Order: sequence, then C-alpha cells, then structure tokens
Amino acid sequence: MEFTLLGAAAIAGAAAYLMLRWEAVHGNTDRTDGDVWEIGVVSAVAGIFIGRIIAMLIDGVNPIAHPLDIILVRSGISTAGAALGAAVLFFWQSRKQPVAMADAISAAALAGLSGWAAGCLIRGTCLGTATDLPWGMSQAGSTVTRHPVGLYAAILFAVAAIALAAWKAYGRPSAGVPASVAVIAAAGIRLATEPFRPSISGGPIWFYAASLVVGLVGVLWFGIVAPKRASSSG
Amino acid sequence: MPRLAALVVVVALFAAACSSSSAPVEGIDPPTPITSEDMQTLLAGSTEPIVLNVWASWCTPCRSEAPLLSKAAIEFADDVRFVGLDVKDTPDNAVSFIAEFYPDAPIDHYADESGTIPTDLGGTLGVPLTFFYRPGGELSYMHIGVIDERTLALQIDELVNG
Repeated sequence: MEFTLLGAAAIAGAAAYLMLRWEAVHGNTDRTDGDVWEIGVVSAVAGIFIGRIIAMLIDGVNPIAHPLDIILVRSGISTAGAALGAAVLFFWQSRKQPVAMADAISAAALAGLSGWAAGCLIRGTCLGTATDLPWGMSQAGSTVTRHPVGLYAAILFAVAAIALAAWKAYGRPSAGVPASVAVIAAAGIRLATEPFRPSISGGPIWFYAASLVVGLVGVLWFGIVAPKRASSSG
Repeated sequence: MPRLAALVVVVALFAAACSSSSAPVEGIDPPTPITSEDMQTLLAGSTEPIVLNVWASWCTPCRSEAPLLSKAAIEFADDVRFVGLDVKDTPDNAVSFIAEFYPDAPIDHYADESGTIPTDLGGTLGVPLTFFYRPGGELSYMHIGVIDERTLALQIDELVNG
C-alpha cells in the first residue's frame, strides 16, 4: 500500500477518533453498547478492500489469480462497492441496535471523510479543474491555477461533522435522523465537489445521487413517519 | 445469512477466475526495441503531448495500474499520445501483457531491454514510472510508482490545457 495513502488514512482515523472522543463526553454513546470506534474502523478497512476487489473485477482483473493487486488500492477502488461493503459490515456488526450505532458514528464518519479529503495535501491530489478565482492554486512549474477541490471537500465535511455533532449533543434529534443527515451531507458534498475534479471515467455521480435519495427517505421516515407511528400506537 | 453472503462472494470470485482474461495474443506485435537517443528524439520531435508509462510484465504494480492507463489512452486519444516503455522484459511476456491489458488502447509500445532509458530521462530504476511531456519534449511532471486516477487526470489536464 502506498505510504501517502496510509498518511491520509491516518488523518482520517484521527479525525474520526477525536470526534468520537468529543461526542463521548456529550453523551453520544449512551444508547450503544458496542465499540463504535472498533466497528467503524473494521468496516472502513474491509470496505476499502471490498471496493478494490470490485474495481478489479470491473477492470477484468482476476483477484484470485492476482491477489497482490488487492493491496494496491491506489490503482482504483469502486466507491460504491467500498461504501456499500462498509455499510453492510457495519450494520452486521451492530445488528442488535443498528439505528443507534449508525447515529453514534454519523458525525465521526463525516469527520473521517474530512480527514481523508485533507489527506490530499500528503497525496498531492488537492487540485481540480482550472479557475481564475483568487484562491486558485497551481502545482510546481505550472501557470494554471486550479480549484483546491480536495480542500473544499475537507472543509465542507468538517463543517458538516461539527454541525451534526452539535445538533446531536444539544438538539437531541429523533433516532435515525443523524445518520440519515450524515448520508445526505456526504452525498451532497461529493455531488457538489465532483464537477471540480478532473477524472478519467467520471465519478460515481449515480451513487452519490442515490445516496442522497436514501438519506432524504431516511430523514422522512425517522423524522416524521416513525415518530407519528410511535405516538399513535402509544 | 453471513454464511450465505460469504458463499456468494466465494462463488463470484471463482466464477471470475474461471472466466480469466487470457486474451488471444494473435495480431499483437511485441514492443519495438528503442535506444535512449531515439526515445529522446521521439519526445523532442512530438507535436502533441506525450504520456510515457514505463512498465514491465513482471511488475505487479504495473499490472495494477494498467486498466486505468488503458481507459485514459482511449478517453484522451485525440488530445494526448500514449507511449509505453517495456523494460527488462521478454517479447513473449510483453505481448501477453499487452494482450491482457491494452488490446484496444491506442498506445505505442517500445522495449528497453537494458532498462536504462528511464534513468536517462531523469527517472528512477523502479517501475512503474509515468512521465508527462509537453509538445517538444519538455517534462511537465513525473510520477513514481502506481498512478491513481486523480493524479493521471490532473496531469493530462495540465498537458492539454496548461
């Protein structure tokens, strides 16, 4: 595995961990009995390799014949495969109380995504499409100024993580709503920043759009329908 | 349920293994041998940007990045010339590699049996290695190791729009 990717992963892990520690002080994990951090890390790491294997299969590379290729994650990961794989593993590990656990990790996941995006500073992948805006940045030896799209994403994810954590701590939203809002934030930020990223085959816009819809449905269900049902049956 | 999911994954992987991508080798020429001087002449004389990827069939990371480079070569065929430099390899292994990863990609492959051209160009002994040249042979960027999509797309954009 590339060391710069490990550096970015370390930043992501540290950001997620710090958010969980802050939230623990503010009652985040009082409704969960699992170790949110451990389950989250296991799911994320496994999700990365699931995404890598799916990317290899899509490219026509046999992962059994070429097992060493699996650890070369820099060559490409299926974003949808990694995210879905991580989500399935997360819910499987926290199947006793999936909603509470998803809520518990929601802000930390956004913080982790912020750290991962900020890792572009180590990976040298912050720059996006060309721009004349005054904060545009250029790489060494180039006269082309570009959107620092990796930093846009890092800042947006960080703002979303902090806002969600504060809301969870002081607003006490209905169960399931924080996780749904986190999905909306993650998908929305990806959708907003993707047009600024140069790419070979285009980002998985369909996956981000579908995730956005899932998040919206989650907010409607957990925020409106489920509380109404609970109050009418109670 | 977890056992069923694991079974599905294993079956899928074995199915993929059975449908292994051993593409036919007919119609694919081995890379053309080239000297360091000729390579530098090729780069200096080019009127279009060049992405020069140094690879070898025995190099696992090269195999790993090949599908991405193949996609890029097809996607940017009108804007950039893709050149492959196969180092310290045998013609048969090179042909198998090209057949597996670059059967349809518009990439001109050359062979450097001695493996000295990359260092002559300012690179390293290790592979993979990817150089990005502006028209006329001016080096824009050099990437050591496996290249990722963001870096490849950004550097091609620098060549095309820079």
